[in-house]
Amino acid sequence: MSVIAPNFKLSEFIKSLIDNAFWFLLIGVLVGLPAVFIVLFVIELPIINGELLTPFLALTWMTDPTRILPIVHAFMATDLFRVMIFPGFGFAALLAAGTIFAERKMLAKLQLRVGPFYCGKFEGILQLMGDGLKLISKEIIIPAKADKPIFWAAPVLFVAAAASFVAFIPVAPGWVVADVDVGLLGVFAVIGFFPIITILSAWSANSKFPFIGGIRALFQMVSFEIPLILSLLGVVMLTGSLNLSFIAASQSSFPWIVFLPIGAIVFYITMLAELERIPFDLPEAESEIVAGWLTELSGMMYGLVQLGTYLKLYAFAALFVVLFLGGWNGPMVVPPFPAELLANGIELGPVTANVSGLPLFTQEMLNGTLWFVLKTVAVIFFILLPRGVFPRIRIDMLLNLGWTKLIGLAFVNIFIALGLLYSGVLGPGGLQ
Amino acid sequence: MADVAFLALAVITIGSAIAALEMRSLIYGSIALMGTLGGVAGFFLLLDAPFVALFQLAIYVGSIAVLILFTVMLVKRELIFKKIEDRRRKFAGIGLMLVTMVALGAVFLDSGIKTITTDEPATDFRDIGTDFVTYYWPALILMGLLLAGSVTGALVLAKREEVENAKRAS
Repeated sequence: MSVIAPNFKLSEFIKSLIDNAFWFLLIGVLVGLPAVFIVLFVIELPIINGELLTPFLALTWMTDPTRILPIVHAFMATDLFRVMIFPGFGFAALLAAGTIFAERKMLAKLQLRVGPFYCGKFEGILQLMGDGLKLISKEIIIPAKADKPIFWAAPVLFVAAAASFVAFIPVAPGWVVADVDVGLLGVFAVIGFFPIITILSAWSANSKFPFIGGIRALFQMVSFEIPLILSLLGVVMLTGSLNLSFIAASQSSFPWIVFLPIGAIVFYITMLAELERIPFDLPEAESEIVAGWLTELSGMMYGLVQLGTYLKLYAFAALFVVLFLGGWNGPMVVPPFPAELLANGIELGPVTANVSGLPLFTQEMLNGTLWFVLKTVAVIFFILLPRGVFPRIRIDMLLNLGWTKLIGLAFVNIFIALGLLYSGVLGPGGLQ
Repeated sequence: MADVAFLALAVITIGSAIAALEMRSLIYGSIALMGTLGGVAGFFLLLDAPFVALFQLAIYVGSIAVLILFTVMLVKRELIFKKIEDRRRKFAGIGLMLVTMVALGAVFLDSGIKTITTDEPATDFRDIGTDFVTYYWPALILMGLLLAGSVTGALVLAKREEVENAKRAS
């Protein structure tokens, strides 16, 4: 066990906790309660169903599920819920955080290390929280000759671009933030923003290593965008739509990877390059150019860029699932919501509560989310795996790969899709 | 609502266009150029053409602006630009702009834009595709040949280095 705090005594720690609780209570009683009562004197409380809505009544309502469930239902139907919580930012950030932890532990096991170990009882599970707190509390250092407005804006823009990428991903039938008719084109447009943000951030730091890393990132991202777009055109030809929800729903009997394996492989390789993962992590090659375009970022700015990177990783994995692995489609494994609970109410000993507004989520939605998350986690695993296996390749090999081999393979994939369509295997009259 | 959005987009587009011309810093100028191109994409969205708007974003902001930014970053400004400013040039520029605007406005007003109906449904991109393969097929084939030529050219350029290396090695 390493010695983190040598003068640590449990009794003093408990004493400090009790101290804090005492002061909190004292100030709350002397200042907080009088303040609440003064406010209650001043404001006029509404009368609902012939009852004056006192704070006590409001608290009782908050614990009553028959009253709170309709409110939750109404909230779940709003756009705010979709953007902030379920198919949007919160869900993606949760998966991204899980990815960071799984990556560190998995790499450590691959290389016969232990990885994060000391934080938390089980396998260092609280390490992420510790790292987050560290990044938040660290000082943000701006280089003296940096271009300050761009330098401040770049990490925020990076997270914003990654989050808008997440917004296009359909997670379950009907559960998508932006269900637009040209969703795949929107994805292409958003992917095009990442190189701009990267090169601006790198240039504004006014330092050698970030600039070299930024130029590498620009080369890599711009040249791999072309095979990326071309490799997805096969799916668009077979489905005849750019709507991601429609593409996912069209794979109810076969996922497209069965017919377009070459496109899937090309997309996987370009995905690694766009995400700057090993073996294509030239922009942040830590053994050559310190940390590449992230060198001068510190504190929470670095944290934001990392958050954006992992959101982007989730979004790319989810895009792979939606386009090639069938999205939310899968056998129904979630049991239906018990019907007698709806009819008779929930019995808890002598009490029977008849709760309206159940079930919160439909069976299709839960099943779709389950399959989507399983497939996405599998794809994320395959994105993480090369990091423990491959060395980094040279920039000229990378560009050669992107401009000659991958573009050629993407065209082969397009011709396979056209052949399937014109020979009548797929499309009208065919299998699907 | 649409009027507010239109006004905001107009201010963004024209303001950043002026900024792109007048900024002393070339990098900020090219960022302002991105604002202009993005504003034009917003106009396409207002005109119910999301297909064109997203292509405007993906190609103009995503590729061409990056190209300009990249060129500007690697160039020493003092070496290629010399500031020439006098009053006659300025007034001539403003006069030229006014003449162009009046001429273009006259053309637009004459083209029957006043009688256009505004509550049409959004144009489906499938219709654009159908038009391309039926009425405009010569243009489509020409574009296809042009793009194939440019892709082949890019491949040749990427390959050339290897040939030179092989020559050097022999």
